[in-house]
Amino acid sequence: MKQKKKRDTLQPGAPKTAAYLAPGLLVYGMVFLLPVLLVIVMSFFKFSSIKKFTFVGLANYERLLSDANVWVALRNNLFLVAVCLVGQIGIAFLLACLLSSKRVKGAGIYRTVIYFPVTLSAVVIGYVWRFVYDYNYGLITYFMNAIGQGDKVTPLLSQVDTVMFCVCIPMIWQYVGFHLVIILSAMTSIDKEVLEVAELDGCSGVQKARYILFPLIRPTLVVCVFLCISANMKAFDHIMTLTNGGPGNASSVLALYAYNVSFQQFNMGYGSAISVFILLVTAVLFVVSRLPGFIGKRRERTHGE
Amino acid sequence: MENKKKRRPGRALGTFCMNAVPVFYAATCIFPVIWLFYTTFKTQEEFSIDVLALPKSWGNLANYAYVLTQMPVLRAMWNTLRITVIVLFFVLAISFINGYFLARFRFKGKQVISVLYMSNLLIPIHAILVPIYILFVKIGLSNHWYSTILPCICMELTTAIFLVWSYVDTIPRELEEAAAIDGSSFSRTLFTILLPLLRPVLVTCGIISFFHVWNEFPFSLILFSSEKDYTLPLMLMRFKGEYFTDYPRVMTSLFVSIVPALVIYALFSQQIIKGMMAGAVKG
Repeated sequence: MKQKKKRDTLQPGAPKTAAYLAPGLLVYGMVFLLPVLLVIVMSFFKFSSIKKFTFVGLANYERLLSDANVWVALRNNLFLVAVCLVGQIGIAFLLACLLSSKRVKGAGIYRTVIYFPVTLSAVVIGYVWRFVYDYNYGLITYFMNAIGQGDKVTPLLSQVDTVMFCVCIPMIWQYVGFHLVIILSAMTSIDKEVLEVAELDGCSGVQKARYILFPLIRPTLVVCVFLCISANMKAFDHIMTLTNGGPGNASSVLALYAYNVSFQQFNMGYGSAISVFILLVTAVLFVVSRLPGFIGKRRERTHGE
Repeated sequence: MENKKKRRPGRALGTFCMNAVPVFYAATCIFPVIWLFYTTFKTQEEFSIDVLALPKSWGNLANYAYVLTQMPVLRAMWNTLRITVIVLFFVLAISFINGYFLARFRFKGKQVISVLYMSNLLIPIHAILVPIYILFVKIGLSNHWYSTILPCICMELTTAIFLVWSYVDTIPRELEEAAAIDGSSFSRTLFTILLPLLRPVLVTCGIISFFHVWNEFPFSLILFSSEKDYTLPLMLMRFKGEYFTDYPRVMTSLFVSIVPALVIYALFSQQIIKGMMAGAVKG
């Protein structure tokens, strides 16, 4: 009763609320929500120019299903997501375990330094790693020469079988800090007594990580998995700088292919269809990434009973 | 694994290894910047002889002179700065008001609005490049220096609104009530009492958004076509062909382009990381 009265004194009327919220919603609606709807509509059209377009029904989607480039790009995207999930979250979890241990000093400094690459632009990261991979002057070449294996150097970014792997490494490297900060904050919020009791019971570091830290921060790891999938499904600036999808289209990803189709070949209808495809694949990956969690939870519940 | 087994006899060795891993990883994170920095003083010949060696003369500023006068780095930096400042202002203003209303009040459509804002997290921004391009061309918003401002605002809104929301949740409403009883109007309470109270979270939002907008690439790529409007990432991308023969020059342009971000990071790293944590917990 009292609560209700209070709310009445503070809350502005509906017109005022609407007036305050309108600018934000207007911008957001125009530049984000409307394009989301438009991209679906546009995927059913064929554009000969921005002004001239004709309805073609499902033709763009039919083309998509038979376009080998799309499947190469999708395979690369899935590879990227899988490798980055394991690499980014795995390395971040390992580092977080080490940094939350009492035997490692200066966790704050490491955290600050390791987070730093996250603040750099993908274009800069791409260039820096080109200098690492460069066939003539790259750091890898330099070290191979230094250990007398100079003849084993290969142009890593222009070989079909190595390129995707080389593209993944910078992306893993850059975002480890991002996941590290999130995982570390979850770990520091764990009750210290739990860990102390475990130590008294003779729990080793690895056991502690596996049986205490991992289950307790699982909700946070779910967030990380989520962020990692969405980040890698939209990845294209790293790849654009590093290889621009080459050699051929060996390192092409869906977002880059959609960009090339839409803005290099100006086939915007088909580009929209690919974009819708990206949204669908992302949604499917989100669902799939939640499955192990559900199964794990159900198993726990049945165990508990 | 092996270290763990030796733990009892060789605890010191174990501790050493546990420290070595983060030291090594942190070194890889800081090394590129150091390498970029000292390479800016080298000539192409020096670089081609030994890519890692320190420069012969630390006073060799030829690369800087070239990059700052011959390449449109400063112009791109100004473009980026201008866009960033404007975007930050609007992001903070909108997220302050929207976050506050969503946290404090019940009103019709609150659920819908929060879900709509949340959907930004699920839909990759690259999926809407084509419609944004067409929309902006149609209404004449492309190819101006301000073209990417609106998309950048939208890109940043979600995180900022949810950060403000969770912060307002921790503020007791007594202050606003006291102000209302004393006869302060709603808007006056909002801007003279709440705004200063929310300063910490707004600073956090501002810093996080700063990096996103400073590094923003895809919208610049599709919305800018003339060189005078290029933002830093786009300029770096577009000029690779022409300049990629002289490595120290390219590295100088990279280094110059990251200096502002480097300074901001050095000043605010603790706040950035705290904000990241708060954002992740809420998200």
